[in-house]
Amino acid sequence: MLKTLFAALPLAMALSLPAAAQSTYPDHTIRIVHGFAAGGNADTVSRIIADALSQDLGQPVVVEARPGAGGTVASGYVAQQEADGYTLQLLVGGHPVAAALYNSLPFDSLEDFTFISTVGQFPFFVGAQHGRFASIQEVIDAARANPRSIRIGHAGVGSTQHLTGELLGLETGVQFLHVPYQGGAAATTALMGGEIDLVIDAGTVILGQADAGVFDALAVTSGARWDDRPDVPTLAETVAPGFDVLSWTGIGAPAGLPDDIAETLNAAVNRALQDEGVRERILALGASPAGSTGEAFRAMVERQIATWTRVIDAAEIERR
Amino acid sequence: MLEQFMMGLGVVMQPSVLVYALAGVVIGQLIGVLPGIGAITAISLLLPITFHLDATSSIILLAGIYYGSQYGGSIASILLNLPGTPSSVVTCLEGYPMAQKGRAGLALFIAAFSSFIGGMIGVALVVAAAIPMASIALRFGAAEYAMLVVLGLIAASLIGTGSQLRSFAMVLVGIALGLVGADTTTGFYRFVGMPELADGISLVSLAMGLFGVSEIIRSVNSEAPRQTKIAVSMRDILPTRAEFKEITGPILRGAGIGSFFGALPGTGAAIASFMAYAVEKRVSRRPGEFGTGHLPGIAAPESSNNAAAQTSFIPTLTLGVPGDAVMALMIGALVLNGVIPGPRLMVDQPTLFWGVIASFFIGNLILLLINIPLIRLWVLLLRIPYRKLYPVIIIMICVGVYSHRTSVVDVVLTLGFGILGYLLKNVRFEPAPILLGFVLGPLFEENFRRAMLLNGGDFTVFATRPISGTLLACTVALLVYSLASGLAARRRARRAATPS
Amino acid sequence: MSHPDPIPTMPRSVPGLFQRVLGGGLVLTLGAVMLVIARDYPMGRLYDMGPGFVPVWTGVALCLMGLAILIADLRPQPDLAMPGLHWRGLIFVSASILAFAGLIQPAGLVPAMFAAVAISKFGDSTNRVLPILIYAALAALGGWALFLVALELPIRAFWR
Repeated sequence: MLKTLFAALPLAMALSLPAAAQSTYPDHTIRIVHGFAAGGNADTVSRIIADALSQDLGQPVVVEARPGAGGTVASGYVAQQEADGYTLQLLVGGHPVAAALYNSLPFDSLEDFTFISTVGQFPFFVGAQHGRFASIQEVIDAARANPRSIRIGHAGVGSTQHLTGELLGLETGVQFLHVPYQGGAAATTALMGGEIDLVIDAGTVILGQADAGVFDALAVTSGARWDDRPDVPTLAETVAPGFDVLSWTGIGAPAGLPDDIAETLNAAVNRALQDEGVRERILALGASPAGSTGEAFRAMVERQIATWTRVIDAAEIERR
Repeated sequence: MLEQFMMGLGVVMQPSVLVYALAGVVIGQLIGVLPGIGAITAISLLLPITFHLDATSSIILLAGIYYGSQYGGSIASILLNLPGTPSSVVTCLEGYPMAQKGRAGLALFIAAFSSFIGGMIGVALVVAAAIPMASIALRFGAAEYAMLVVLGLIAASLIGTGSQLRSFAMVLVGIALGLVGADTTTGFYRFVGMPELADGISLVSLAMGLFGVSEIIRSVNSEAPRQTKIAVSMRDILPTRAEFKEITGPILRGAGIGSFFGALPGTGAAIASFMAYAVEKRVSRRPGEFGTGHLPGIAAPESSNNAAAQTSFIPTLTLGVPGDAVMALMIGALVLNGVIPGPRLMVDQPTLFWGVIASFFIGNLILLLINIPLIRLWVLLLRIPYRKLYPVIIIMICVGVYSHRTSVVDVVLTLGFGILGYLLKNVRFEPAPILLGFVLGPLFEENFRRAMLLNGGDFTVFATRPISGTLLACTVALLVYSLASGLAARRRARRAATPS
Repeated sequence: MSHPDPIPTMPRSVPGLFQRVLGGGLVLTLGAVMLVIARDYPMGRLYDMGPGFVPVWTGVALCLMGLAILIADLRPQPDLAMPGLHWRGLIFVSASILAFAGLIQPAGLVPAMFAAVAISKFGDSTNRVLPILIYAALAALGGWALFLVALELPIRAFWR
């Protein structure tokens, strides 16, 4: 009730405008399903997009969290839903990771989905306690001198953060000790307490601490320097030539979504990403707002499945 | 410190801010009363609203929902044996027997009063000692957590009443249920069976099943009238002077325990309330009265979970790291408003920092003021015959559990745990230790294995690190003391039995 | 116990010995089931535990506890009498929750609540059909107002 009262104003404005699409779609509530805990990053991004889409399409858009098994519970559910444009999914960088990590998924990570548009892209940052290392090169040298002496905390076995750390080990040829935590926040706390030496995680986790002088952001995982932080060197230019990991969020739907609905949604998402408020919120979450075509989105997922399959094979991470 | 706090009060007392504090605690109270619908669900639903608010009002609103739900959680526990929030499970143990004795009003008063004092002590600690408490929290690494859990488990399961064997068996059942899901250290799937279980059993469905559903099964066709005479006069609700005296110690101890566990990331209100209850049972001179509606058994956990709800903001506000999922949401709300929480928050955003803390103070006051008059209303609920009430309770449980993870499997599991709890009680097993094992078991395993991984399998780490070593020593001392006093009691009993 | 004087819905029909072994037997069975499922989990060692270490030892401990309780309970004790099973409660509460679980996704929240209330109401042997249906309709309406209108939970009211 209260929510309605608070939300009434913008929604009433949205309803009074003619619906953006010419066709009858959408004529009732759309839901965005995601596979992570309420309150996580995926949940927040879903709500930002839902808020914007409902204003753009003139229908309520609700967010439904179906957490479990690294997002695959939600993907399995969405893959079975009708492709009518009323069930969407917030996909994340973990989607291609799951395709590589799980032995028997009840869905095909590419063929069972319609990829509509990416929403945001973000790199990971390598963070260490302030003053502990002068540069990322020093970290690699230390790890080379004493294998398994550098302890990298990560957000969970099989998380994108974990695999990025493994990939760094593979590309530089050094052995790290990978220490699992339940989520990036727990790993960050451990880094503050000095239990581990490095954390590889999203900017939201690392950069606030870097600004406060608690951590140093030693490197960024994207191929080119990150616009928001041009002073942080890339792994590619320092220790691991060619290193390029970007995680992302995006909107998908079950396979076989009619083209006109896919186009309506793609246009709506890309319009939302032009909105100043939406851009600001996505930037605040450490990502750069980046829409795309469905084809480009799909191609990226396909590429990343190949990358992570290679990492999991090489690092001998047990598939499940 | 006080000066800044007064400045914060100035911020909150502005009508445009006060309205959010009020709205937050009222929504929180309602959410807490409804079983299964937790603060997380409510806060994440309201998150988009905060896009249109400033950061201070947003956090005041969302925080109010969180600690308000801790107040509401005890109501269903006491009236219906139905924990409104996981942290009010312990309140069922004494609150429900009290309600059955016709003293629901007193139980509700003590819950609200203890919650208020606990919350206030928590707020005072946040004001006075946020920074030192945060730095202590950071000194807790894997070894410390592992030893803390061992101490907690030993303290809670070596309680010398009832059948120790039986309660220890139930702790083990809880540990076993806590193993379900992907292993944190290796990602290996244990007892999973279906993908919905990969993240483990949800505490909500376990608590709802063991307590709520099993109680309904037992009472559905019971012909006994619900309650013949119900005291609702203020005199029956207020504790006597002797009763006040009886709960003072438990409230203070509970607040201390709660404040500690709240400030530690990764533990929280649920663990705090269990620990507070266990400690009361241990220090009590009349441990036999626990389980029959013993006042300290309500006062301590209620004080504890509310203190924990306040101090859990310490790592969030001073370090910028969330200790649990609710706090992650708070940080999300701050970030979306362009405020980066962290060590600089107190310096860069003093009005926000102190405004939020002052709102805790005001919020607790509002909660106390709305809860006391409501008690009489709640007690009237008991006049409704159970047969008219239980179908509604069933749908509240179902909707609550389902909304938690949008999972049908969780609903079916809740029924399973209800039947399990019912059968166990029929063969004289109490369900509460199951929840204790369930929350502490995984915490121990994860941290023990992480300590071994970090230290190359060297066991001495538990003894050589100062905090961990101290905890270990406490555990050993407690074990020795329990064994010795157990032997002494047995000798006394034998001596007393011989002459007769 | 829920009420001052719980009335067993069935006369006690289980033999005394069976009743006495039930508690320990339940724990023992749980432990045994755990051990069977966990038999192939990698064990590791105490200083380098595999994912199977804690499950296997928890299973072993449960079995030992079950045995100990069995032995302790074999001595006849006066307070061991088990109340009869509340069959009506077990059957109708189960059916009601399962109906909710089965209907919530295909049919939506309102039908699921209606069915759950109606079915559970039949658990009370004094109820008749028409009052039950009216009650269920009212409960579903109230649930709709609370969960969907007031709280705006993201659950569909009906099938779409």
